Amino acid sequence: MGRRIVLWIVVAVLAAVGLAPILIMLAKSVIVDGWLSLEFYSRLASSPRQWTLLGNSLILAALTTLLTAVVGLPLGVLLGKTDLPFRRGFATLFSIPLVLPAYVTAVSWFDLLGRDGLLARIAGAAAARETSNWLFGLPGCVLVLFSTFLPIVMLLTMVYLTTVSPRLEEAARLVGGWPRTLRGVTIPLILPGVLLAVLLVFLLTLGEFGVPSFLRYDVFPVESFIQFSAFYNFGAATAAAIPLALITLGVLVVERIFLREKTYQLRPAPQGVGRPSIELGPAGRWGFFAAVAVLCLVIVVAPLLVLVIQSTSPSVYLDALARAGDSLLRSVAFAALGATLLTVLGVLTGYLIHTRALSCWRVVDSLTIFLFALPSTVIGIGLVSLWNRPATNFIYATPLIIVLGYVAQYTGLTSRIMVSTLGQIPPSMEEAAQMAGGRWFRRFSLIIAPLAGRGVAAAWLVAYIFCLRDVGITMMVYPPGMETFPVRIFTLMANGRPSLIAAMCVILVAATVIPLTLLRFVFRPARPV
Amino acid sequence: MNKVMGPIVVVGVVATLVGLGCRRGGTAPSGEVVVYVSEDQVFSEPILNDFERETGVRVRAVYDTEEAKSTGAMNRLIAEKNNPQADVYWANEPIRAELLKQRGVSAPYVSPNAAGIPRAFKDPAGYWTGFSARARVLVVNRKLADKPDSILAYVDPRLKGRAVITNPLFGTTTSQVAALFAIWGDARGRDFMNRMKDNGVRVSTNNGESADFVASGACAFSLVDSDDVVNRVRQGRPIEMVYPDQKPGQVGCMIVPNAVMLIRGAPHPDNARQLIDYLLSRETERKLAFAACAQIPLHHGVSVPTEVLPVEKIKTMEVDYAAVARTMQDIQPFLKQWVGY
Repeated sequence: MGRRIVLWIVVAVLAAVGLAPILIMLAKSVIVDGWLSLEFYSRLASSPRQWTLLGNSLILAALTTLLTAVVGLPLGVLLGKTDLPFRRGFATLFSIPLVLPAYVTAVSWFDLLGRDGLLARIAGAAAARETSNWLFGLPGCVLVLFSTFLPIVMLLTMVYLTTVSPRLEEAARLVGGWPRTLRGVTIPLILPGVLLAVLLVFLLTLGEFGVPSFLRYDVFPVESFIQFSAFYNFGAATAAAIPLALITLGVLVVERIFLREKTYQLRPAPQGVGRPSIELGPAGRWGFFAAVAVLCLVIVVAPLLVLVIQSTSPSVYLDALARAGDSLLRSVAFAALGATLLTVLGVLTGYLIHTRALSCWRVVDSLTIFLFALPSTVIGIGLVSLWNRPATNFIYATPLIIVLGYVAQYTGLTSRIMVSTLGQIPPSMEEAAQMAGGRWFRRFSLIIAPLAGRGVAAAWLVAYIFCLRDVGITMMVYPPGMETFPVRIFTLMANGRPSLIAAMCVILVAATVIPLTLLRFVFRPARPV
Repeated sequence: MNKVMGPIVVVGVVATLVGLGCRRGGTAPSGEVVVYVSEDQVFSEPILNDFERETGVRVRAVYDTEEAKSTGAMNRLIAEKNNPQADVYWANEPIRAELLKQRGVSAPYVSPNAAGIPRAFKDPAGYWTGFSARARVLVVNRKLADKPDSILAYVDPRLKGRAVITNPLFGTTTSQVAALFAIWGDARGRDFMNRMKDNGVRVSTNNGESADFVASGACAFSLVDSDDVVNRVRQGRPIEMVYPDQKPGQVGCMIVPNAVMLIRGAPHPDNARQLIDYLLSRETERKLAFAACAQIPLHHGVSVPTEVLPVEKIKTMEVDYAAVARTMQDIQPFLKQWVGY
């Protein structure tokens, strides 16, 4: 009984925070001049140009997802399960691009490879012209988004590797070496987690507008952006966002069909039992080290170096902190609060979806992913329409509205991480406690939550990073005078000194050191057994 | 609860306390004014800080971003219309101010400091008032031998494939194209745009980028805002600024003033009027003229740096901003098609 009440409260919260604003926006999209009409949708469907743009978005999303999966999975295994030198440092470095808004990373690449960029000064104008031509278009978009979203696959692979039972791997190693164990046991067992990561990358790329716009690759979200920015037509903008959300739901259906017959009843390593580590051997260690180092140098260090070179003077950093120190504090506080709420909601929503405790579990799952895929402007305007009333000014005119925005957009992230995590806890454990007469809250807090500890920590960290880097939702709803640090970076980018912007980006990266240190603490490398 | 959930809950509680500490929102006390700003923050924030220092009225601002094409504040103002949070909107051009007037977002206020602003740059009913303008100028690469002096250079076959224009769906370029349609009429306007396209014009994402294309030599010229040129000239980039169409019979140079307006139902109307008076003062115009944006004062006799031409020395395009705002809405489907969206 207690379980149902708690879960219904969670559903009610999601309905109020996520569903209600979207219903308002959907209503705007089917009302034209005061009459019920599907004109916005029919106009969209009848435009051949929109189909081309949709094709471009799908190509960009497919290429980026493929590349991040092909590189991210082995990278996650190398950093999470082997004795590769400097693996903790690599994990931190590769995570940095995820922290920065992708638009900022695109500008960094432009400062590096553009016609007047750093490369032009080193290799000459002709080489810079070539790289500039290459950067502007599909290849440049894939490069920037690949480097930005690679950490999602890498980190989630590392997380899920820690949940694989060592006994299964040890048993497999009795009949074959590590390559066979990885292929036959480890990778199949973490496949739900990897698929989740791949799904997130696909959705994030599909909805991305800032980077393709900057790098001149026309994508489908441009229509929604134009309707907001040039026509101020909220209904048409919402209608233009719906096809991407429908594709998202289609992807969800495919994912469900793919995973339907798979069961994941794994036993995490008991306390004190070390996880088996892959020994690469001297040649392998340094060979892989060189490969990982080159990749890191190209996709992380090079663009980051541009920011550091542009901001070498200490006075620039002092200026940046003087101008935006308060924003930084706010960002960290809002992100921490948002991540905590998202984790609590994610744990409960994930539990609801995993156990199918309420008949509406499928609706809840679809809603959270649907919200994750919607453009932030649509959610932002929906939140304004719903909460900007005299009676709810205590929410709308305070930072609470930002946190509600985070919850509306990112619950799909934490709930999906928890679904994959909970899928690895044998149901027999909760069932045994139930047989022994344990009430649901005790079962949940004393059995399920501890067993899902690493997943919970991963959910919090991922949520923290996404809240910290958020610009879209925050920009639409932040109370006057209470902008966050990334918003401050964006508002100062127009005609602001490049050195100041670069220094602020470096500070934003530094602000993630705390959660990344936590990450290293939680996901200590495997001890050889 | 356990090793992971415990710290997460503690972090949440601490973050809530810090977040509440950050809370300055809610219904603001009487010593505040809320302003939404589309002018670049680097130029507008020092002015607002000065206002705060001189009057003691605390300013809470929402600034726009270049990435959102400076339309975030507009969208918020429209969405918040029924329960306004803002007192004042500082737009970076008057067309948006006109659109907000047409949508019933703004309220009339005739500031005493608006008396010295020429009639062409303010709404007759006081719904918005212009100040500190930019000029729409040609930025030309210094190496170009035969420098263009008219926007008709965009359709000159001798300059085929050498021009760049900022995406006409956004910002001041939309305003300029709409102004040309309003002056020339729909048929000539469309013909001009189509011939421009046939002449191989490149389309950039913003004015700064257009100016950079010209500075790097990738393009020979472009139509941009004067501050984009002054900024780069001061950086030593090899470009020149040309005020277009200054000869008799030509259309003239378009002037794009900032525009300030009072929001209908503003929570702090008195402070809002005080801020509007401040922004429309000669001193604010002087500061913006000497700032990096080098904007052109609209009051007569305000001192300006050498690179800023006083407005009375420029042959200006005769623009009815209300008509331009209406035209802009009419031609946007055409412009969308023209860009290829």
